[in-house]
Amino acid sequence: MTEKPTWSVWHWLLGAWMLAVVYGAFFYAPRAQGFVGESARIVFFHVPQAWVAVLAFCVNLWASLRYLVRRDPLDDARAAAAARLGLVFCVLATVTGSMFAKVMWGEFWNWDPRQISIVILLLVYAAYFALREAVADEERRGGLAAAYAALAFVTMPFLVFVVPRIYFSLHPDTLINVRGKIDMDSRMLQVLLAALVGFTGVFTWLYTLEVRVARVLLARRRREEST
Amino acid sequence: MFAKEVRSELRARVAVNAIGLFGLTTLVAVAYQIGPYQIHEQDRPHLLAALLWIILFFAALSGLQRVFVKEEDAHTAKTLRLAARPLAVWGGKLLFNVALLAALQTFLVPLYCILMGMRVQGTLPLVALLAVGCLAMAATATMVAAIIARAAGSGTLFAILAVPLMLPLLVMLIQGTRMAMTSPAWSDILPALQGVGALAGVTMVTSIYLFPVVWND
Repeated sequence: MTEKPTWSVWHWLLGAWMLAVVYGAFFYAPRAQGFVGESARIVFFHVPQAWVAVLAFCVNLWASLRYLVRRDPLDDARAAAAARLGLVFCVLATVTGSMFAKVMWGEFWNWDPRQISIVILLLVYAAYFALREAVADEERRGGLAAAYAALAFVTMPFLVFVVPRIYFSLHPDTLINVRGKIDMDSRMLQVLLAALVGFTGVFTWLYTLEVRVARVLLARRRREEST
Repeated sequence: MFAKEVRSELRARVAVNAIGLFGLTTLVAVAYQIGPYQIHEQDRPHLLAALLWIILFFAALSGLQRVFVKEEDAHTAKTLRLAARPLAVWGGKLLFNVALLAALQTFLVPLYCILMGMRVQGTLPLVALLAVGCLAMAATATMVAAIIARAAGSGTLFAILAVPLMLPLLVMLIQGTRMAMTSPAWSDILPALQGVGALAGVTMVTSIYLFPVVWND
């Protein structure tokens, strides 16, 4: 499997973009008001990680529904790859959120509704992999995992939007707050948007790699079955 | 399908016995250790609401999965696929699980109020919350039961899949019950009621589309 030259250019561009994001997060964006020390700078990493986790679970749903319609094993592999990456970014968002919590509120874990929500999300998608492990037959595994993924996805808005609004939360306003406005310095907003683009690029790259590996493995298995 | 489920349950009474005895045993253990006098007045709404739903939730988990697992165990699932349309099967199983949970709540909640000294300001809002919560829990449990019935190690898998999916529901139900204990106003319980109702709705709509796929897979 050789890499196309355009892909190589994109990877270098992505690396340069992420370097610029890191530089911007620490040197270009001003210090935020109302936060302890430099703690608010973690927003440039925490928010994109949470966004990518949600994006990955959306991709998981899309691939799962596609699998249910077309029954192509590659779609099942796409769904699993997206869920795996979603879990990784979900863990990263939890860790960076806890670091912020320690600086702002004195403890890594405060049982804040948003902390609880993200842990439940982790459990929901960890269960997705437990289900995949429990079904030996590949076609049945794909179908059942796809059905569970769709069921899991409908609970996500409740975890992300409903539960944190029913309970009192220490968590700062989301990027677009309940008044529908963005209360953020323009330079901070520029860095945050750049970070969102960068992390989405990282996810796209990792996801593409996973799908390419799955495609190769599937092709090899088909070749072995035919001989 | 619902009548068939009831007749089948009345013959063996496995789910009724499992849910009823699990609920009763847990309630006795909680009431004996904590009772109405071990909790400070200001902590009562938080703790009593949480304990009530933990008892109901785990009692429900012990029996709701059986609706599909028993068909696979008894090798009747193939016959059922030929005899009834998938939506009829799903509807019958869902109704049976709703009835089972409603019976559990009718039996356990008054007993819990007496044994734990739980005073409720908004009785009607609580009844509404219990009814919507029963529907939401049964909808999620029925769909997860259909999924795990086709997998290995279905007993363990049911808890692994159902608990995380039901946790947001549980959080909203506990919050709603706490509000019903402290206030008679519908407006206080409404956010939780809306959340639980919406979750029940989206789970049922999703299940209607997904069940035929899972059932015929």
